[in-house]
Amino acid sequence: MRFTGENTVAAPVERVWEALLDPRVLVATIPGCEQLEATGEHSYAMTVTAGVAAIKGTYTGSCTLADLEPHDSLQMHLVGAGAPGTVDATVAVRFADQGGQTLLTYDADAVVGGMVGGVGQRMLTSVSRRMAAEFFGNVEGVIAGGLPAAAVAAGAGPGAEGGPAVFTAPARPAGSPLGERSFVLGMAVGGALALAGVVLGGILGRRR
Amino acid sequence: MTTRMVGAPVPRVEDERFVTGRGRYLDDVGRDALHAAVLRSPHAHARIRSIDVDAVLDCDGVHAVWTYDDLDGPMAEPLPLLIPHPDLTHGRTQHPLARDQVNYVGEAVALVVADDRYLAEDALASIVVDYEPLPPVVGVAAARAAEHLVHDDVPGNLAARGEQSNGDVAAALESAPHRLSLDLEIERSASMPLEGRGVVARFDPDNGRLQVWSSTQTSTGLRAALAAKLGLDLLAVDVITPDVGGGFGVKINHPWPEEVLVALAAMRLGRPVKFVEDRREHFIASAHERGQLHHVEVGFDDDGRVLGLDVRFWHDNGAYTPYGLIVPIITSTQLLGPYKPGAYHVVFDSLYTNTVIVTPYRGAGRPQGCFVMERTMDAIAAALGKDRTEVRAVNLIQPDEFPFDHGLVFQDGRELEYDSGDYPALLAKIKELVGWDEFETFRAEMAAEGRRVGLGLACYVEGTGVGPYEGAHVHVETSGKVKVATGLTTQGQGHQTAFAQIVADALGVPFEDVEVTTGDTRRMAYAVGTFASRAAVMSGSAIHLAALRAREKALRIAADALEASVDDLEIVDGVVQVRGTPGASIDLGTVAVLSNPLRYAFDEASKAATQFSVGDPGKPPVAEDDEPGLEGKDFYSPQRSTFAAGMHAVIVETDPDTAEISILKYAVVHDCGRLVNPLIVEGQIHGGVAQGVGGALYERMAYDDAGQLLNASFMDFLMPFVTEVPGSIDIDHLETLSPLNPLGIKGAGEAGVIPGSAAIAAAIEDAEGIPITAMPISPSQLFELRAARLEEER
Repeated sequence: MRFTGENTVAAPVERVWEALLDPRVLVATIPGCEQLEATGEHSYAMTVTAGVAAIKGTYTGSCTLADLEPHDSLQMHLVGAGAPGTVDATVAVRFADQGGQTLLTYDADAVVGGMVGGVGQRMLTSVSRRMAAEFFGNVEGVIAGGLPAAAVAAGAGPGAEGGPAVFTAPARPAGSPLGERSFVLGMAVGGALALAGVVLGGILGRRR
Repeated sequence: MTTRMVGAPVPRVEDERFVTGRGRYLDDVGRDALHAAVLRSPHAHARIRSIDVDAVLDCDGVHAVWTYDDLDGPMAEPLPLLIPHPDLTHGRTQHPLARDQVNYVGEAVALVVADDRYLAEDALASIVVDYEPLPPVVGVAAARAAEHLVHDDVPGNLAARGEQSNGDVAAALESAPHRLSLDLEIERSASMPLEGRGVVARFDPDNGRLQVWSSTQTSTGLRAALAAKLGLDLLAVDVITPDVGGGFGVKINHPWPEEVLVALAAMRLGRPVKFVEDRREHFIASAHERGQLHHVEVGFDDDGRVLGLDVRFWHDNGAYTPYGLIVPIITSTQLLGPYKPGAYHVVFDSLYTNTVIVTPYRGAGRPQGCFVMERTMDAIAAALGKDRTEVRAVNLIQPDEFPFDHGLVFQDGRELEYDSGDYPALLAKIKELVGWDEFETFRAEMAAEGRRVGLGLACYVEGTGVGPYEGAHVHVETSGKVKVATGLTTQGQGHQTAFAQIVADALGVPFEDVEVTTGDTRRMAYAVGTFASRAAVMSGSAIHLAALRAREKALRIAADALEASVDDLEIVDGVVQVRGTPGASIDLGTVAVLSNPLRYAFDEASKAATQFSVGDPGKPPVAEDDEPGLEGKDFYSPQRSTFAAGMHAVIVETDPDTAEISILKYAVVHDCGRLVNPLIVEGQIHGGVAQGVGGALYERMAYDDAGQLLNASFMDFLMPFVTEVPGSIDIDHLETLSPLNPLGIKGAGEAGVIPGSAAIAAAIEDAEGIPITAMPISPSQLFELRAARLEEER
C-alpha cells in the first residue's frame, strides 16, 4: 500500500525537526504509544496499543531512521507486529519552511499484513491521513505548550551513556480531548490507527 | 400404475427443514465440545525463527497449545497429495502446522484448544512468532519469472508441466488460410460457501472409537485420511457429514489441517473438540481457483473451421498442490467444448505462488477453458466478418459422430470420449430462446433511445460423473418404509428428493416412504465423494441398481408367499400383487418380515416370522445363496465420464457514461441427459448462473505484491446479490440420454457456471466493439478500456 499526505505545523522547521526527533515528545504525542526505547543510534523499539472494535491489540516493533538531512528530509523504516497484524513500512518525510510554519510531506510504502491488512485495508489510507493530522496537531500543542509534566519526569531519568533510554507515555486523563478523539477514531478505523501510530511515531523518534 | 417419479418436478423434501431452521449443520453438533483456534501466518513467505507459546500457559481455560514440534509420527509428515500424477514432478503439500517456513498468508502455525472460541483466540494473541520474511511470489508473472522461489527445491516454481496433442498442430497452423493469436486471462475467485469449513471430533476411550463430523464433500476420503494420520484402524473411525451449507468444490479437499488436528486433540485430551472457521479464515486458509493466463494460436479456413489449435497456459496453483493437477487437466481437455478442431496441442505449466492453495471450484477449470475457446470462436468470426453462430456451427461435432474420441486423456485417466449429444440442436434452441436473429432490430431500437446493448454466446461440454464408483444400500423395513444410504455427501443438491424419486420408481414404493442418508460412513463405508457433477450419475445409478436388487428379492419372497410366479408380480405403492388378480397381494413390509426368519418375536409383525409360523420344514430358513433381510446393495462404476453440454446467451447493456454493466436477458439451453427432477436441475442452473455472473463481473482475489489478500471479507469481496443476478433466466432442456448408465443421466451441478464469463465477455465486446480478453471486468475496467481505445484512435 502506498499513501502520501501532508500536514502543516504552526512552528518553524527547526522546532518541528527537533520535536519530532525527541523521543519524549514522540511518546507523548503518538496516539496509543506506550513506550519508546532507544536501541541504537537512530533506532528505537516501541510499543503501541491501538485499535478498538474488532481489530484491536498491542503492536511491538522497531523504527530505524536513515538519510537524515536536518530540517529537510529523512527516511524511516518501520516494522511492527501484534495480534491484529503486521506493518512493514518505508516512509520518506520532507520538511519545508513556509514562512514560520512547517509543511511536512510524507510518502509511505507499507505492507500491512494479518487481519488489519485483509479486513481493514480499504480504510487504512484515509485513516492514516487522519491520524497523521491528529499527531501533528499534538506535536504542535507540545511545541506551544510544552510536554506534560509526567513525560518530562519519565524522560529525565534514564539515558546514562550507553544504556537504553526508555520513554513511557504519561497517563492521559480520561475524557481529555486527546483521549476522546483517539477513542472515536479507533472505533472508526480499528487497527489502522496502529499503522498510523507506528508510521508517525517512527518519523518523530528520529533525532537524538 | 403409480405416476413415474423420475422426471417429475417434485418439490424438495429437505427444504421445509432448512427454511424452518431445523437444518443441522456442523456448528449445531458438539455443543459440549472444546473449541480450537488456529494461529495463521501474517506473511506470504517467511521462515519461522522461533515460536514462543509460554504466555499461553497463563491463559485461563486453555487445554492445549501446539506447534509443529508437538506433532509426531504421520502427523508430523506433510498432508497427503491426494491425486498424484506423473506430470506432477514437484508436488508439495503443507504440514498440519507449519514446520519451519510459511508459504501463504493464512497458513496454520499453531493450534490452541480452550473452553470456548473466545478464550482460544485470546490465547492465540499471546503467542509470539519470530518470522524472517522472504520475498513473496505473487501472480503468474512473478512465478514464471522465478526471480524468487516459493519452495527452494522447486526450480522455476514449476510444479508440473502437462502436454497433450491430437494431430500435427504445427503443420495445421502452417497451412491454414487464416491465423490468429490471442492472450486471455481469468482471475482468481473462490467457492465461498456460506457455511465455511468445520469439524467436530469425539473419541471414546471405552471403545477406542473416533467419531468425526465434518462439513466435507467426502466423508469416506476424510475417514481414510484420519485413520492413516492418527494410526487408527479404518473400522475404528466414523465420519459423519451433517447438513452442509454449500461446498462448491472447496470442501472436496481433505484432510484440512484442522480436520486432523481436531481429531488428534479429541484423542489426546479425551474431550470432544470443535473447529469452525470464520469468514476471514475461509478467505485466507481454505482454497481458491480460476487464476490462469492463456495464449492461443489458431488456424482456420474461410468458413471459420478450426484447422489447428495450439494453446499454452499458465495455472497459478497457490502454495501447495494437495489436489494435484485436476484443474489444469480439465482446462486443457474441456476447452474443446462441442468442437472438433483439425489438430490440437496444449501445454500447461502449473506454478507455485505464495498464495492460498488452488483446488476445484464449481466448474473446475472449465470456465477458463470455455472462455478461451469461445473468445477464440468470436475472434475467428470477427476476423472473417461472419455471424458468430455460423462459425460455431461449422465446428460442432455432429450427432452421428458419437461416441466422439478426442484422442486425449481426461481428468480420470480415461479417454476424452464424448458419449452422446446433439450440439446443432442446442445451437438452434439457444438462438431461438435468446432471439439471436432478431437482435439487430433490438439493438437499433435501443440505440434510438441512446442505449447500448450487446449479445454474447458461449457453448460448453462438461465431463460429468467421473469414477471410480459409488454404491448404495436400500433397506425395506418391516414397516414398509425404505431406508436408503449412499456414501457421497450432500451440500444442498436435493439428494433426499432426487434419490428418493429414483427408488420410488425402481422399487415401486411411495416417494414419501423413502428416506435417504448420505455421507455417513456408518451406513455406507465405500464411496468417493461429491464433485465433478457426479452425484446423480454415480449415486443415482447405484441407488437405482440397489433398489432393483431389493425389488428382485421382494418379488422372490412374495412369489413364495403368494404361490405365484415372479413374472406375474408387480410392486405398486409398496404392495406386491399378482397382476390382474385383486386381493392376491402382500405388503412390502410383510415381505420384509418374511425375509428375516426369527426365533424370537418382539411384536405382532415379528410373530409372523418366527419358526413355528413360516418356512418350509424341508429347507434351511435362509437359503444357501441368500441372506436375511429385505435389502439391496449395489455399486455403479462406469468405464468413463458422461458428457453433458449446453449453451448460454446473454444480452447486456453498458452505460455509455458510467460503464455500468447490466444483464437484460440470460438464456440457457442445457442437456444433462435424463432429468431426474427438472425443478432441481433448474435450481442448479440458477445457482450456477449466479456464480457465473459473480465470476464475470464482481469476484476477484485482490492480492497485493506482498501476498496479502486485501479483500478478505464480504465488505470487499463482491458476491452477487439477488439484485445482480438476472431476475429471470430462460431455460430450455434437451434430453440426450447417456448410454453409459441405466437411467441415461448426465451431471448438472456445475454446468450453470461454466460459460458465464465467456458469454458475458462476448456480450460486452459486442456492445462496445472493444476486445474483452480478461475477466472479470468491472465498470472501472471497462471505462479504462474505452479511454484506451479513444487514446488509440487519436
